[in-house]
Amino acid sequence: MIKNTFFVLFLLCLSCSSDDIIHSEKTNFYKMYKNLFVKEQGAANSNISKKEISHDRKWLSKFKQPIILLSSIDGSSKATLVALGNYKNKLTWVSSDGISVSFEDGILIATRGYSQDLMESEHGNIKSLLNIMSKSRNKTYRYLNGQNQYEELKFSCSISVKKNMISKILDLKLKTTELTEICESENSSHTNLYYLLPGTEIILKSKQWISQTNGYILCYNYYAFQNNLF
Amino acid sequence: MFKLVFWKYFNFLLFFLLGINAIYATENKLFESPTVLNNYGMPGTIDNPAAEAFPEGQFSVSTSMFGGTIRTNLSFQISDSLTASFRYSRIPTLDGDFKGYTWDRSFDVHYLVKNQSHFFPSIAIGLRDFIGTGLYSGEYLVATKNISSRLKLTAGIGWGRLSGKNNFSNIFGQTNRTTGSRGFGGTLSINQFFSGRNSPFFGLEYQLNEKTQFVAELSSDDYDKEALSPKGFDRKSDLNIGIKYQLAPDLSIMGSLMHGNAIGLKGILAVNPRNSPHISGIEPAPMPLMDDSSLRKIQSNMDKDIFLRTAELLALDGITLLNLEIENRSINAKIIDRNYRDVSQMVGRVARIIAKTVPLDIKFVTIEMIDYQSGYSVSKVTIEREKLREFELVFDGPMKLWEYVKIENSATGIHSSSNPSDSSLTWSFYPDIDIVLFDPHSPINGSIGWVTNLSYKVRNSLKINGSFKQAILTALDDIKRGPKSGLPNVRSDFMYYYRDISTRPYLDSLSIDQYYKPSKNIYSQINIGYLEMMYAGIRAEAIWKDVRKPYGFGLDISAVRKRGTFGDFTILDKNYSTFIGTLYYDPYSNWNAKFDVGRYLAGDFGATVSLSKTFNNGWEIGAFATITDAKFSAFGEGSFDKGIILKAPLTWFTGKKSQAYRETVIKPITGDGGARLDLENDKFLYNNVARYGEKSFKDNWKRVFR
Repeated sequence: MIKNTFFVLFLLCLSCSSDDIIHSEKTNFYKMYKNLFVKEQGAANSNISKKEISHDRKWLSKFKQPIILLSSIDGSSKATLVALGNYKNKLTWVSSDGISVSFEDGILIATRGYSQDLMESEHGNIKSLLNIMSKSRNKTYRYLNGQNQYEELKFSCSISVKKNMISKILDLKLKTTELTEICESENSSHTNLYYLLPGTEIILKSKQWISQTNGYILCYNYYAFQNNLF
Repeated sequence: MFKLVFWKYFNFLLFFLLGINAIYATENKLFESPTVLNNYGMPGTIDNPAAEAFPEGQFSVSTSMFGGTIRTNLSFQISDSLTASFRYSRIPTLDGDFKGYTWDRSFDVHYLVKNQSHFFPSIAIGLRDFIGTGLYSGEYLVATKNISSRLKLTAGIGWGRLSGKNNFSNIFGQTNRTTGSRGFGGTLSINQFFSGRNSPFFGLEYQLNEKTQFVAELSSDDYDKEALSPKGFDRKSDLNIGIKYQLAPDLSIMGSLMHGNAIGLKGILAVNPRNSPHISGIEPAPMPLMDDSSLRKIQSNMDKDIFLRTAELLALDGITLLNLEIENRSINAKIIDRNYRDVSQMVGRVARIIAKTVPLDIKFVTIEMIDYQSGYSVSKVTIEREKLREFELVFDGPMKLWEYVKIENSATGIHSSSNPSDSSLTWSFYPDIDIVLFDPHSPINGSIGWVTNLSYKVRNSLKINGSFKQAILTALDDIKRGPKSGLPNVRSDFMYYYRDISTRPYLDSLSIDQYYKPSKNIYSQINIGYLEMMYAGIRAEAIWKDVRKPYGFGLDISAVRKRGTFGDFTILDKNYSTFIGTLYYDPYSNWNAKFDVGRYLAGDFGATVSLSKTFNNGWEIGAFATITDAKFSAFGEGSFDKGIILKAPLTWFTGKKSQAYRETVIKPITGDGGARLDLENDKFLYNNVARYGEKSFKDNWKRVFR
């Protein structure tokens, strides 16, 4: 009995296939059970750099293409993203580990590669938010549920403005205009922050909410500093 | 020794096999809490029913034990109001054939007629053991009302088994009711429903704190059979009390004192296929789309060969490009995908990549999907290139894009292209577990060993597939049951194969599989060789399927001989044949139906009805029943062939792309009536074709930009 049990375990170790897909499927089935005891990290966050890097203009000058920096709220996970998609005024930035975030004029409109992606969103007139014309706005976020159907959050947002706020970006301290957007829906609420270059609609950095599962991201639009403007 | 271990941990194993995934999902904290299941796996207090329902789609596994009785229940919330359960029970009885116990299968249904309102309680009606041998047979009407946020009261009236104590004359006037076993079971006794005397029953549930609940009830079940059996218990009072503790949102346990004498223990696991723990999945982001000037710049740095640069990018996503043809302003790409379960997501990703690599004057992208196993071109999807990027990041983008998508049947024949990286020979070597349930001598039996699969592709339409197995630890060589009498033994003699093969290596299957696609809508195959453990011969299958229609037809014919019981190359001189016609119906709803009509292995003529509740994420939970001209007495226990089908996709658990799934068919009885060849799923064409149909795309189109 013991000999046979060891033989079965030995066979488990020998498990293999000439076909990568069969092997991957079998391995994932085993991992599913293994995860009961040893939880595997989500793939989406596995490769995000945790190394401390000084993000200054010297560091930025090494990049030959426009970049942004995404960071978790506590700053423990950071990733630089490059622009790989553009259409009209929408830009999609992609990280090396397969996360993408799409912005329209600096406002987050979609994400991909998170476990609860912001699949699509409706913001009305984004310009009126950025040129500080309105004190409130409505927006709708859509997510997929486990049945591949939409789950929709309709937010009512109030907007407040603080001017001449000093913000640290790279190794610079700049005067910025801070927009605070407090949004509430039936089951959820969040507060987004946007720091604009005074007198412009350019967002230099922001804190934006993705979803209930994935929370906030901090976004540093370093590409605004890549043409030696400062 | 092995059997002893299996037997001792029967309930644990069943929990493990059926419920482990729920535990995994629990860690993601995304499941609805199950309400209290009673000992029958239905909405209720302890033994009594209650007028409640679980969340729609919830699948629960529960086991309860007390006073010598063990009940293991599989329950499914079919709709908001309708609950069904299948149960396998060990009942202490005086005439129990198995060490003083009777092992019995039974089915229940419960219908929530009305939800509670401010003043009125919720009301439900239910049938217990309505199609079994009748040992648990009973009916009830029950009402439940929340008195406060913590207190819930239930009162009801029961018939049959539920009218054992404190009974009085039938409120409907139907006084006569036969009691006891209904012979082979499997038959409805409608005239018995709500007949005979009836008794009241009551229940109380009080929420002590977030996780703990106190439950009490007055039960009208007299447990007369159990009380008479030396393996049972003395029923001392009507009162049952219990404490339920919720270990996790979908994992609960309950301890109870039953009828003043027996200690009861119950475990409940629940999983709801609607709630994927990974929500939208954790696959990496797809290729973003670009405007024309950026595309020109990017393409100038790519490989000059459009096929190579496209194939390279597709390969990064696990998709094989077989062929690329440009005609006027259109491009036609033939692909094989073995990774994505969700065809909408896959097509979206392929279209994005092609939009990035092909010249700017191409306006339409046609993606022709080739089935890996058969080489058929199954369906083709045409997407307007400009609309893809126009709607990518637009609100309601997928639905707007759908207006510009065309799904068509694809060409006749088998594709001739081959993937250079694809070897002709593929093999695999993995552990193998074989489980046989519901043998009263040993309710859960099994073996653990290895399986080697080999596949050799002679050409795209012709393959030789083989499977070799060996059990290392097995209890299947000691099945005490014998074959049934009354019909030719085409399936019920399976134990002879397990007995003679024992721990020897054996040939499970070895066949030559030839595929044909003679017209746009007809797909066919011929399998010749050792088709399964018990049969060898020839089988032919043809299906008609239009990818735009929600239905299809099939014809499955076989002429086979019994194989020798040692799993070698021996073929016995016992000839059998089947011919079965099938209507498949996949309406644009959450249900799939299949109707088979024809001649089954034992020579019996009849029909099979299969009905499954489907979920867009790939889960399927269904049931089937086969009634043939074989007499119920000839079929034996259970009267006819029936079972429950569970299908769970791997991607639901991992969040990663995969077409793999686990399918479990739970058949309470293995008989000879309604028997068919026992073939692997990939030997049936319809599902492989239908998954590329318009319904599949439409159901999941919201994932096209994921």
